[in-house]
Amino acid sequence: MSTLGRLIDAPFEALQRRLGAARMPYVFVAPNLLVFGIFVAAPMILNVWYAVTGGTQLMPAERPFVGASNFGELLDCDQFGVIASCRQDRFWRAVANTAWFVPFQVIGLVAVSLVTALILNRRMAWRGFFRAVFFYPVLLSPVVVALIWKWVLQPDGVLNALIVAGGGARVPFLLDPSWAFSWTVVISIWAHMGFYTLILLAGLQAIPADLYEAAEMDGTPHARVFWRITLPLLMPNMVVVLVLGLIRAVQSFDEIFVLTGGGPGTATQYIVQYIYETAFANQTHILGLAAAASILVGGVLMVLTMLQLAATAWSKR
Amino acid sequence: MSTLSLRGIVRQFGPLRVIHGIDLDIAQGEFVVFVGPSGCGKSTLLRIIAGLDQPNGGQITIDGRDVTGTRAAERGLAMVFQSYALYPHMTVRQNLAFGLENQRMAKEEVARRVAEAARMLQIEHLLARKPGQLSGGQRQRVAIGRTVTREPGIFLFDEPLSNLDAELRVQMRVELTALHKRLQATMIYVTHDQTEAMTMADRIVVLRAGRIEQQGSPLELYNRPANKFVAGFIGSPRMNFLDGQAVGGRSVAFEGLPNLDIPAARETTEGEAVTLGVRPEHLAFTDGAGLPGTVDIVEQMGGESYIYVTLANEARLTVRRPGQTQLHAGEPVRVAIDGAAHLFGRGDDEHAITPRRLP
Ligand SMILES: Nc1ncnc2c1ncn2[C@@H]1O[C@H](COP(=O)(O)OP(=O)(O)OP(=O)(O)O)[C@@H](O)[C@H]1O
Ligand SMILES: [Mg+2]
Repeated sequence: MSTLGRLIDAPFEALQRRLGAARMPYVFVAPNLLVFGIFVAAPMILNVWYAVTGGTQLMPAERPFVGASNFGELLDCDQFGVIASCRQDRFWRAVANTAWFVPFQVIGLVAVSLVTALILNRRMAWRGFFRAVFFYPVLLSPVVVALIWKWVLQPDGVLNALIVAGGGARVPFLLDPSWAFSWTVVISIWAHMGFYTLILLAGLQAIPADLYEAAEMDGTPHARVFWRITLPLLMPNMVVVLVLGLIRAVQSFDEIFVLTGGGPGTATQYIVQYIYETAFANQTHILGLAAAASILVGGVLMVLTMLQLAATAWSKR
Repeated sequence: MSTLSLRGIVRQFGPLRVIHGIDLDIAQGEFVVFVGPSGCGKSTLLRIIAGLDQPNGGQITIDGRDVTGTRAAERGLAMVFQSYALYPHMTVRQNLAFGLENQRMAKEEVARRVAEAARMLQIEHLLARKPGQLSGGQRQRVAIGRTVTREPGIFLFDEPLSNLDAELRVQMRVELTALHKRLQATMIYVTHDQTEAMTMADRIVVLRAGRIEQQGSPLELYNRPANKFVAGFIGSPRMNFLDGQAVGGRSVAFEGLPNLDIPAARETTEGEAVTLGVRPEHLAFTDGAGLPGTVDIVEQMGGESYIYVTLANEARLTVRRPGQTQLHAGEPVRVAIDGAAHLFGRGDDEHAITPRRLP
């Protein structure tokens, strides 16, 4: 046994004699549990408390209990489906933006990651290099991502310089609402696809090569190989990508916030930005509303995830 | 039912040449077994025949048609993989039908062929299951069934039994032979198990390091191995080898042992370095002239016995005797030839020195 092993053996042995073998597992999970408790469980519980209390005080004990009134305020609209008639119209604007953003981002993300993974899985020169290239943006800080793209997209940025050089007119990429929205989708896909490509690539490589050889012996057309062999066998990884991608799309915030600040107007203001600004950035810090909003978002995400998992479990039968 | 011929097939991976110019003709309905040690190029050769791999040189002809360079699907072959390569997400029925559906075959015909293959391989009750819910032997049957439905000209098998336990292997061996009889199809079967080769083959092709060492019927290879490699590879337990010198064409001299007479005279030069090869079943114990030694280990199989002997010069021999032996470890014995003996040269090819023809 190593010196280190001998060194830590004695105290653990003493501990086991005191506690009994059955309780020892708790000793080993304790450190992790502590970290989880401090950084995950406690904030979640605190968040619930903030959501049912009012005022602008930061200390939990100083906050008056208001029951469900924060939720009530968020959901209070005079006319159903008309954002301007809601008391928290900014909340609903952000929800609507997110509801647009998420499907585009997730479908785009899955499609782009899948195509990239399929290409990178082929035998080709420089494969390792390309794998690194596609993964690289994942390693960048979101702020760096935003600054790179700002540099590309701003009125006198790289892209406009190219357009002008090609004889075109400048395009206000970040000043036009639909352009800005589209770019947030594109950039968010660009920044995260490497991670999902990696998950799909791992799935592709786990498919035994001889299945493809069997299909080749059978004269299976390429499209049929993809739809009948590759895709079904990649499904578990696709579900992971879909679930994680969806959750992260709803949580989109940092790179977009740095790039557009939610603008122009509120065109790219998504739900997490609303929560952030309501809690910390506006002049009055309305913590209760923000906490209530984040509980609503968490609830919706949970339901969506369960639906997806149920759907895959059902499709596997 | 097809014929196949290979001419000068060469395959190299980068600088490494693994198939060195193979020439081979396989007749219609023949069951040919490629056998050889691990890494000798059996799978590579089979994959080249299948069209999954392309040779660097040479020509492949099926039924007189040059198929070199054509894709696997165009060759009318079907293959059973060592890992079975069943589609895990499809039921057995879908697995059997998949290849036929590719050819846009009529539904009724697909159903007919699937039903027939399932009946032939006794997997009818498994059709609705997925491969994960089958035992190894059942999977193997499905993999074979998948090739049967294709009604290919040639069946290719790459070590199809190596993942099965011993008992199942024996059973599948018999079933495959029966299948061959019944379909009258050409079959090429790769294995490194010489027992499989001996029991199933019409013709065995022994490969070593990408070359054909010898080909022939199982008994031809057993009775007249062309060289020491084939002699050692075919037959179990392995042939015994003793290095010595030829004396007068009729006996062999060993260091530290008395000379041993061999049954038939050979074309040897006096004092030539030779290797004597005798199969364990062609050795016996004697009270007269023989090689002195001591019994090491006795293995009683019931119906026969294996006796491992260390000779006076430390060389070891395996003796196989019918019935149950009274010998036990430590006992001194004398070993003599009681059957065929083989002599091999000690040149690079270690070729067999054939008996001298009587004038
Ligand atoms: N794709 C490849 N690239 C490089 N070398 C290869 C490749 N495929 C096979 N080889 C080499 O070719 C030789 C023959 O391999 P092959 O798989 O045909 O052996 P085998 O006779 O089937 O052995 P086994 O009984 O272990 O299956 C081996 O030395 C192997 O390392
Ligand atoms: Mg092999």
